[in-house]
Amino acid sequence: MGTPPPPDVLLDVRDLRTYFRVMDGTVPAVDGVSFQVHRGETLGVVGESGCGKSVTALTIMRLIETPPGEIVGGEVWFNGRDILTLSSDEMLQVRGAEMAMIFQEPMTSLNPVLTIGDQIAEAVVAHKKVGHKAAWDRAIEMLQLVGIPEAQRRVKQHPHELSGGMRQRVMIALALSCDPKLLIADEPTTALDVTIQAQILELIRRVQEETGTALLLITHDLGVVAETVQRVVVMYAGKVVETGTVDEVLQDPKHPYTEGLLASIPSQGLRGTRLNVIRGSIPNPFRMPVGCRFAPRCPYAFDPCRDHEPPLEGPGDGDRRVACWLHSRPPFGIEHRPRYGTSTATALAQRTAGVAS
Amino acid sequence: MTQYIVRRVIQAIPVLFLISVVSFVLMMQAPGGPAAQFNQNPHISPAQINKWLADWCLVRQPTVMDTVREYLGWLGVWNCTGGSFLSAHGLPNFLPAFLGGGTNGILHGDFGYSIETGQPVLQMILARLPATLILMGTAFVLWATIAILAGVLAAVKRYSFFDQSVTFVSYVFYSLPTFWLGLILIFIFGVTLRWFPVQGIVNVRNTPAPFATSAYWAAFAANPLPYLYDIGAHLVLPVVTLIAVSIAGDSRFVRSAMLDSLHQDYVRTARAKGISERQVIVRHAFRNAMLPILTNLALEIAFLFSGAIVTETVFSWPGMGRLYYDGVNARDYFLLMGILLIGSVLVVVMNLVADIAYAIADPRIRYD
Repeated sequence: MGTPPPPDVLLDVRDLRTYFRVMDGTVPAVDGVSFQVHRGETLGVVGESGCGKSVTALTIMRLIETPPGEIVGGEVWFNGRDILTLSSDEMLQVRGAEMAMIFQEPMTSLNPVLTIGDQIAEAVVAHKKVGHKAAWDRAIEMLQLVGIPEAQRRVKQHPHELSGGMRQRVMIALALSCDPKLLIADEPTTALDVTIQAQILELIRRVQEETGTALLLITHDLGVVAETVQRVVVMYAGKVVETGTVDEVLQDPKHPYTEGLLASIPSQGLRGTRLNVIRGSIPNPFRMPVGCRFAPRCPYAFDPCRDHEPPLEGPGDGDRRVACWLHSRPPFGIEHRPRYGTSTATALAQRTAGVAS
Repeated sequence: MTQYIVRRVIQAIPVLFLISVVSFVLMMQAPGGPAAQFNQNPHISPAQINKWLADWCLVRQPTVMDTVREYLGWLGVWNCTGGSFLSAHGLPNFLPAFLGGGTNGILHGDFGYSIETGQPVLQMILARLPATLILMGTAFVLWATIAILAGVLAAVKRYSFFDQSVTFVSYVFYSLPTFWLGLILIFIFGVTLRWFPVQGIVNVRNTPAPFATSAYWAAFAANPLPYLYDIGAHLVLPVVTLIAVSIAGDSRFVRSAMLDSLHQDYVRTARAKGISERQVIVRHAFRNAMLPILTNLALEIAFLFSGAIVTETVFSWPGMGRLYYDGVNARDYFLLMGILLIGSVLVVVMNLVADIAYAIADPRIRYD
């Protein structure tokens, strides 16, 4: 049992582990993830598909289906208490009221047989202890807040009468209807048209400013990250590999995986040249590499990477953290002999120079 | 909505017409015939037979045209006595009698006379209808309730002991033939244990008159409780026979529909709202699983009718099913055609009701 974080930290995830026990073995979908979200802050979680972003979010909401999923360890301090210790009845008071979630698929995330108003009012009635009429008015108010025209009429409609963008607006209205302190958005724009994506992001940013809620934005789109968030957590194969402010991480990536992610964004300037993708694919979840999980795909991998897991620690001051042997002193007695690459190699040269002096 | 219902009713008319054609053709194709039955009945004179044949446009060695005329006469479009499409009033025969149409044929409510008993077919069927409706109504309500409850619980508590038990019992019952199950139930609970009566709908020793006669209803109305108890006791074994196999299949169907629904994104959204698990299951998961279940139940009503024939025969239940069975044995063609038609109309009506219920339950159904 740990100690609570300082009051300005809204969400403190410590060494969270969520495993899925399936017929073929155990999948460590989230394996020792730690990060913090301050009140009113926006944190981005990035990483490719299958790296454990969504499972992290669902674990924080305690929406993991058990079985096959199981939260095997860690603490999730939210608003002063470890919510992993709450009973499922106590969790009903937290979920939807203090923390709310927006999902990736607006087309399927709303109940097709209930009106939009019913679906929003249901949450309001559950948490705000108000009557149906007041909840219904709140639903209309929320629809107006998220910019749905003719809210009075729309509130009586069913989801199939709305476009994808409108449905995602309804999801946002639903999530914010009980004034949550934390909003978790799991790839909220992935399923939408590009033009609608920008509108929805702008909307999320606006309502977040207006309501002062903290935002945990999960995405694989670094463009979205650059525009929306203040701090970034980069995840790979169930682990955090790098954290820092959005400028630090995007301008000066330390981890080879982050570097690879940034290099694989297509850009107008590189038209006609071969896209610089990360070779290989994410490791087989049943047989995770022993050392650094990125080592099999890493262009800079050297001896300690394959046998020893790098700790997530700061290359310097502040909140900057990176889990890579290029930036950490390897355990005593292990030969440290990197193959030299490009920019990360420069970082390595600087570091070894620092160690020598 | 009203428009939708009206359109569905109009769409049912061609279906009913086709059903009448099929009923008729099936009987035409069956071996034997009314004449063969008459020949074995010493109480009927040749003159009576000839009059009966003429009334129904029946010919001893019919050509194709004669057969068509027989059908149209049975339907009520052809005026058999006048020998034309026009009624005695000179107007089209298919019109209702009060508008100057004819009086023969099912369109005018004339289903003919039973070859065996000489009674009007419609009267015979109506006399048997209450027993069948009691049996089927009870069976349907219990069937739907048990199948839905068992299926939903099994899905919610997936892989639990309850779920596994339901699965096991379902497979056992699903493999049993209805007639065999009926006989075994009679043997165990009727003959050996003597818990339940083995045949009929009422205990004839304690009733003043046969079931469904006006004297019976009068006695029933005066003191309903013992009569209800009597019918209830007689219902147990036939209802169990009729629904055991169907519940086995349908609880599996409900379980899979419910499992499908429980894994939908909107159920996760509902959980994320922080509403109670019961609300999640009832308002979100079950409300959506209801849609395929409704369709399935409507289709199963037809199955209930055919099941009733076997069950009523095994338990000597005085309903339409046994009337049909007796009619087949007696080659009572007009009776058989009448039962087929009325049974089909009931099934079509039930499907119509299910369609309308579906339209109410699913807002995505377009009415135009």
